[in-house]
Amino acid sequence: MPKPARAAPDTDELGAAAAARARGSRVDDDRTRLFDESFLKKLEYLSVVARKTFAGRLRADRRTKKVGSGIEFADHRRYASGDDFRYIDWNVYGRIDRLLLRLFEEEEDLHIYILIDASRSMRIGSPLKLHYAMQVAAALTYIGLGNLDRVGIIPFSDVLHESMPPSRGKRRIFKVFEFLRAVEVGGLTQLGSCMDTFVHRVKRRGLAVLISDFYDPRGFEEGINELRYNKFEPFVLQVFDQREANPALHGDLTLVDCETGELKEVTVSRSLLDAYKAEHDRYCAELNQFCTARAIPYFRTHTQVPFDELVLRIFRQGGFLR
Amino acid sequence: MSFASPIAASVIAWAAAVLGGLAVFAYVLKMRRRRFEVPFSTLWQRVLREKEATSLWKRLKRLLSLLLTLFVLGLLLLAAAEPRLGGEERDARNVVVLLDASASMKARDGGERDGRERTRMAAAVDEVRAVLDGMGAGDAAMVMRMDGQTTPLSRFETDMPRLEKLVEGVEASDTPADLRRALGAAADALRGRPNPMIVLVGDGAYDAEAMASVTWKAPGPAPAAKAPTAPTAAGAAAAAPAGKRLDAIDLSGIDVRYHPVGSTGENVGIISFNARRYATDKTSYEVYIEVQNFGTRPARRRLVLYNGDLATDARTLELHPGERLRQIYSRGGGEDSVLRASLEIEAAPGQAAGPARRDAFPLDDQAWALLPARRKQRVLLVTRDNLYLEGAMLVYDNIEVDKLVPEEFDRQVAARTLPEYAAVVLDDVTPAAVPPPPTNLLYFNPSGDASPFRVKGTLSAPHITEVNEGHPVMRWLVMNDVNFDSSSIFELDRDRGEVALASSVRSPIIAARRTPDRKVVACAFSLTGTDLMLRVAFPLFLVNVLDWFASDEADLLTTYATGTRARVPLDGVVGVSEVTVTAPGGRETRAPLVDGQATFYAAEVGIHTLRARERTAGAAPGRVLAEVQLAANLSSATESAIAPARQLTLGGVALAAPDDAGISHRRPIWLYLVLAAVLLLCAEWLTFNRRITI
Repeated sequence: MPKPARAAPDTDELGAAAAARARGSRVDDDRTRLFDESFLKKLEYLSVVARKTFAGRLRADRRTKKVGSGIEFADHRRYASGDDFRYIDWNVYGRIDRLLLRLFEEEEDLHIYILIDASRSMRIGSPLKLHYAMQVAAALTYIGLGNLDRVGIIPFSDVLHESMPPSRGKRRIFKVFEFLRAVEVGGLTQLGSCMDTFVHRVKRRGLAVLISDFYDPRGFEEGINELRYNKFEPFVLQVFDQREANPALHGDLTLVDCETGELKEVTVSRSLLDAYKAEHDRYCAELNQFCTARAIPYFRTHTQVPFDELVLRIFRQGGFLR
Repeated sequence: MSFASPIAASVIAWAAAVLGGLAVFAYVLKMRRRRFEVPFSTLWQRVLREKEATSLWKRLKRLLSLLLTLFVLGLLLLAAAEPRLGGEERDARNVVVLLDASASMKARDGGERDGRERTRMAAAVDEVRAVLDGMGAGDAAMVMRMDGQTTPLSRFETDMPRLEKLVEGVEASDTPADLRRALGAAADALRGRPNPMIVLVGDGAYDAEAMASVTWKAPGPAPAAKAPTAPTAAGAAAAAPAGKRLDAIDLSGIDVRYHPVGSTGENVGIISFNARRYATDKTSYEVYIEVQNFGTRPARRRLVLYNGDLATDARTLELHPGERLRQIYSRGGGEDSVLRASLEIEAAPGQAAGPARRDAFPLDDQAWALLPARRKQRVLLVTRDNLYLEGAMLVYDNIEVDKLVPEEFDRQVAARTLPEYAAVVLDDVTPAAVPPPPTNLLYFNPSGDASPFRVKGTLSAPHITEVNEGHPVMRWLVMNDVNFDSSSIFELDRDRGEVALASSVRSPIIAARRTPDRKVVACAFSLTGTDLMLRVAFPLFLVNVLDWFASDEADLLTTYATGTRARVPLDGVVGVSEVTVTAPGGRETRAPLVDGQATFYAAEVGIHTLRARERTAGAAPGRVLAEVQLAANLSSATESAIAPARQLTLGGVALAAPDDAGISHRRPIWLYLVLAAVLLLCAEWLTFNRRITI
């Protein structure tokens, strides 16, 4: 898919992008110091906290609804030819004269998929929303790896970018860092098509952590529903920049959509700003309501909140890993 | 409405075009909006959909912003064009404003401002500014300062504020007004210019003869015909004298207006003051003083005469209105000093003196005169025997005469035993050695190489045909009928300061020379071969010579009148082309020195000092060759008569006031335009910051 044309050189951007533009430089997408020593220390701390939170649980004991060779009864279903005779419930047959098969919940390793929005809109903010999302993703990955879960990272925009296949073990964290540093950015936000591709590409269901600003003109519902309908457990994390929600603009401006390049002439007044702020809040509230109504964990944060604080908040509220 | 801006209309038009273009360009730039990148324009679109209803108003606001900018620009340019409201339409005039800055303008009756007394000059300056302020858009004006001289302060200009600024600094001098010269200069300046006009702002204290010398003769479309009270050609023709005066000032075709200033005429002043030593008794002097009451009420003054700082006489004068009092004081024993006469207001018996009784015109209450030093000279007469010469010298009381025969004189000079004499008279002898300076020498019939002037020939039975009457030695002398048997002829060197005092058909036979240290007079004839000794002129000649030797020239006793140009003899000063004149206030000016005569012009009353210095190569002042003090007084009854003339008549025609001259009094509105522009800008700023017009 062709990338949208870049905005004109004199176009301003919010946050760091705007500041960098004012200095005459491009957007500061330097990721070399994104995962430094202090970041690792914070990860370790989060890992310890996570262990305390999930103490007493066995490793690799996440239960799936997949009927398999588990020991805990889950349900019955009709017998079909070819089924294993050993699972026929003869007691039921004796009572109601019908062949039913006993189903058990299978115990298996949990697969965690970190889906990071790498569209152009994530390159806005101070710090960049993308950097923030990467740090959060790395933290969650580390915790997942520490719990012997299989964690994979899939960047996306209007397509799925090159992904990191699920892997297990803390030692893999450095591979994760390398992968995140190399993630390419660009393209539109198309949650629906990307999630559709994702669910068809990945056979093993699991936890799908969706980190994005959810600025999809087609709406966020399709993408999240795609995960739900395909038996993934969505986990929604919305990242935004404070100046997106409350921009300090005034006067006659031409607004340029950083993804589509669409132009819109506006005369920004105080009332318009208030209306925009209310609209942004309403959009976020819609996302929150959508997730809450469907029992989907939802967290919303701006980039000024330290990532470790966000992760702790997630732990406190019982999200991510149950 | 008219425009009085000094900026040309084309310049303003260009400025309007350029600035208007810039405003539109800025508007277009403003329309080219700043681009701003947003991550999710959908949200903005949702908001803007709700605001679409107001977009028309926003566009209108933007257009209003451009219109407001152009309107403010228009206001400022209009203000620059300096529009004026009111006034009648008429052709542009060329106006010469004659500002009287003569001595009488120092009268302190110009009213009060800020509690301070003003002079007439200050009031006149205000009047001139009002006249200039009332000029029309196309009027051009020139301001001339009129006192003893006429000084143009500007060219013809349309920039009235600049002229008003020039006028602000004008101050009155101590000289009488020379109206004739000023009118002549104004008429010359207006010659060939359309719609000429002269506005005279002053007190009318002008010489009657000068006012009568104006003629109005040329018929034709006189611009004054528009104003009934202005001088008209017909009226002028009736008033013009039948005979044609060569010195008449022709103001035909010029609209002349007069604006009087001043309010009072009460003044008592000294109009003449002089002192001289008696010719026969140099130890005594007499003072002449003339005082006049120019007011309409009786005046009482105390006249005090000072010799230096010492009051030598004081007397009370009771003067009736218009009375002129002449006083002669005979004084004795005066030393070399400055005489000063002072008039002081004296309260009448039983009347308290106070500030209200101050003299309105103090300039003529003081007068100065110089009293030269009294010297008694020792004179040596070197002669074999000359009864007439000895007798004539004995007549003069101011000398002590000794007599020596030539041989004894030569011996004593050679032996340097000769006492010091102020002057030596050498009768028919020409000694090779003479006493050193500063002894002055008078020769009769010098001859040979020792002659003070080179003898180039002899004349038989000459007659004196030319007498240098300007020289102090030849004052009051008549020598035309003197007979001579024969006489030598001198060859004079002007570069050495030698001047001829009497000549026979351009052949000098009496000559004089003055060097910085001595004076020499020589008669080329022998007293034995002439009947000069039998004439009255002979003792007078001797007295003049000896007075000149003693620097007792009567000319130096004379006081000078301010505003007049006088030639002051500085004989003996050679090779110098100018002298330094130090005014009473200490201000130094330079005056030309030609043929031993310095041109002196006093613009201030008081004692002036003329110094001729040796010319030097560097900047350092040279040696003083001659120094003369001169007293200058106003000495003008015309100026002392300070009663302002409400009506002025020139050449028999009464002048109208400039109020009737059609000089439009128009109200400038540029200030209001600028204020309106500022108010609009403030409103725009306020609404912008309140996000109303954003």
